[in-house]
Amino acid sequence: MKARLEKFFNAKSFCVVGASTTPNKPGNVVAYNFVNFFPGKTYLVNPKGGELYNNKLYKSVLEIDDSIDAACIIVPARYAPLALQECGKKGIKNIIVTTGGFSEIGDEGIKLQQQMLDIMREFEITVIGPNCLGLYSPALGYDTMFLPDSKLKRPTNGPVSIFTQSGAFGAAFIDQLSRLGSGKWVSKFISYGNASDINETDSLEYVGQDPDTKMIIIYLEDFKNGREFMQKAREISLKKPIMGIKANRTETGAKAGASHTAALSANDVIVDDLLNDAGIIRVITWDQLEDCVLVFGTQPLPLGNKVAIVTDGGGAGVMASDMVSDCGLALAKFSAEVQKKLDDTFPSFYSTGNPIDITGSATAEDYRIALESVYDDPNVDSIVNICIPVIPDLDIEEYIKITKELAKRKEKPFVTALVGGEEADYATAELLKDDLPAFESPGRAVRALGMLTEYTKHIQKHGVDPRSIKVED
Amino acid sequence: MSGIKEIFTIIQSEQRKAVLEHEAKMILRKMGIIVPPSTLVKTKEEAIEAASKFGYPVVMKLMSIEVIHKTDYDAVVVNLQSEEEVKSTFDDFMNRFSSVDVAGVLVEKMVGKGLELIIGTNTDPTFGPVILFGVGGVMVEAIKDVVFRLCPTTQPQALQAIEEIKARVLLEGFRGMPKVNKEELSNLIVKLSELAWEYKEYIAEMDINPIIANEDGLFPVDARIILK
Repeated sequence: MKARLEKFFNAKSFCVVGASTTPNKPGNVVAYNFVNFFPGKTYLVNPKGGELYNNKLYKSVLEIDDSIDAACIIVPARYAPLALQECGKKGIKNIIVTTGGFSEIGDEGIKLQQQMLDIMREFEITVIGPNCLGLYSPALGYDTMFLPDSKLKRPTNGPVSIFTQSGAFGAAFIDQLSRLGSGKWVSKFISYGNASDINETDSLEYVGQDPDTKMIIIYLEDFKNGREFMQKAREISLKKPIMGIKANRTETGAKAGASHTAALSANDVIVDDLLNDAGIIRVITWDQLEDCVLVFGTQPLPLGNKVAIVTDGGGAGVMASDMVSDCGLALAKFSAEVQKKLDDTFPSFYSTGNPIDITGSATAEDYRIALESVYDDPNVDSIVNICIPVIPDLDIEEYIKITKELAKRKEKPFVTALVGGEEADYATAELLKDDLPAFESPGRAVRALGMLTEYTKHIQKHGVDPRSIKVED
Repeated sequence: MSGIKEIFTIIQSEQRKAVLEHEAKMILRKMGIIVPPSTLVKTKEEAIEAASKFGYPVVMKLMSIEVIHKTDYDAVVVNLQSEEEVKSTFDDFMNRFSSVDVAGVLVEKMVGKGLELIIGTNTDPTFGPVILFGVGGVMVEAIKDVVFRLCPTTQPQALQAIEEIKARVLLEGFRGMPKVNKEELSNLIVKLSELAWEYKEYIAEMDINPIIANEDGLFPVDARIILK
């Protein structure tokens, strides 16, 4: 069976109901997006008539002769039922309602949403929303995000699909991705708002089977169809990494029941275990999500959990080592060959165990030798490259060059932490420009590797070879 | 599974939600789960006969819809070693619970000491029937070392769940305790998850606690089912 969202994304003709001539109004922005970027036919509707962006403004959808595959309704909530009904009469089956003011505002809104539901059933319409940003796909020129490009910057085409219950989360995350590295990240973005019809499970089903989606990021506060969601996620997570936030963690505790089991059944405890069972990597904080995109989106999966750390600062190495064990990773024991090379090359005051501490005397050449040696060591599954660039003999340009070369080999995950001020920021920005994972602290770098390795462990448990899964190009 | 639905129907027709232990164990047996040998008796003579058939020591438990939390009422007496002790326990029950509606006394072969585990199910408002596995015993709610799965669960999922409790080292033969047979344990989780799923119209909650794991195997020694 085809995913219900496919009909939205595959639309060849699209209608904006509530196209506005006032600049930067939601109905104006969406009209602009479709007129300028959508490769199919765009129709604009506004009861006042006239013209917008050289397109006729139809007074009603019923005036349009062509058949229409999908539409977006952007009118005040109280007019939305009528607009939906007209779309229904016109035979439009796939409709996005971005407008807010429904079930999220209480009784009055619940009544309106119920009215909408009745119309949907009568005309067999699939609805996204209300109270959402709708859909965005840069490759398809599909964009119902009603915030102007001057405010909400759009990331361009890439491997990541995102679906979110919260529109504000979605807007912020999209904006964030637009300035992360090259900004080439997003395949499909789905904001389904109140989930009157399309919900988290439909969204997962769609991005799960979408060949352009290589990894999935989710933001949920609750489930409309939790059981099916978990069952689908269990299959999809073996093909593409799924990660995200299930917020509202403290919403409900366990209800007192007659059994111990009921007393232990706190909502979030169950959610946590079921997400884990389904192979979804749960993150708690917003910054972790961006780190996920950076590391999953640019690095291969590790084949195991053995990490090599190279650092010019002892403290940073110790903190990274602590995080290694916190994240279920382990420090690699170097092969005899690599160990001998390190011992023979470096002065005796360098520490050549793992972490390799090339100290404040480190040069870019020292970094090259240490990093290349561990990269090529078969005992090493992933590499953490830590640099505190305040030391006198380090040529930062040379260090950046070496780091870029290694991070681009993509045989093993390679992450960099640059700790410090201006020069650290500069080097981080240079690496990010090339979409290479660079972080401001050792802990964050190791944690990102930890998530990557957690996914490897998950698929290996199910007999899937991590080399068979490619997110990055 | 023949007969399980009938048991639930009868209990519901009696306007009660609590399934008594002997009824719960009958259901477990019908699911193919091995429980310690036990018999519901009505008289002292039957009690003695059952005890000698199973061999001492035995446990005696009062079965009554008015005494659900049995230990709170001293309605469970363990480690009975002789006919004399069975007789006096039976008399004591009849005296103390004379004003209570008694269904009978469950005489059960006593299970030797071992590691106490719990398997339970609950009806989650979001996910429907879910199953829990963890460290059991009376302190289960304080220790909270449990893991959940959706019902029905598969054996690989159950095996994975077993590996996820914090105290998993206890299952590996901790300080001279016998190793727990994980294959058998995962089978038990799967069967109970199937019970909760299959009869989700009836079952609201279930506690099989404790399940004693010792050198002889896994033994559900107490079972509580609450109907919807």
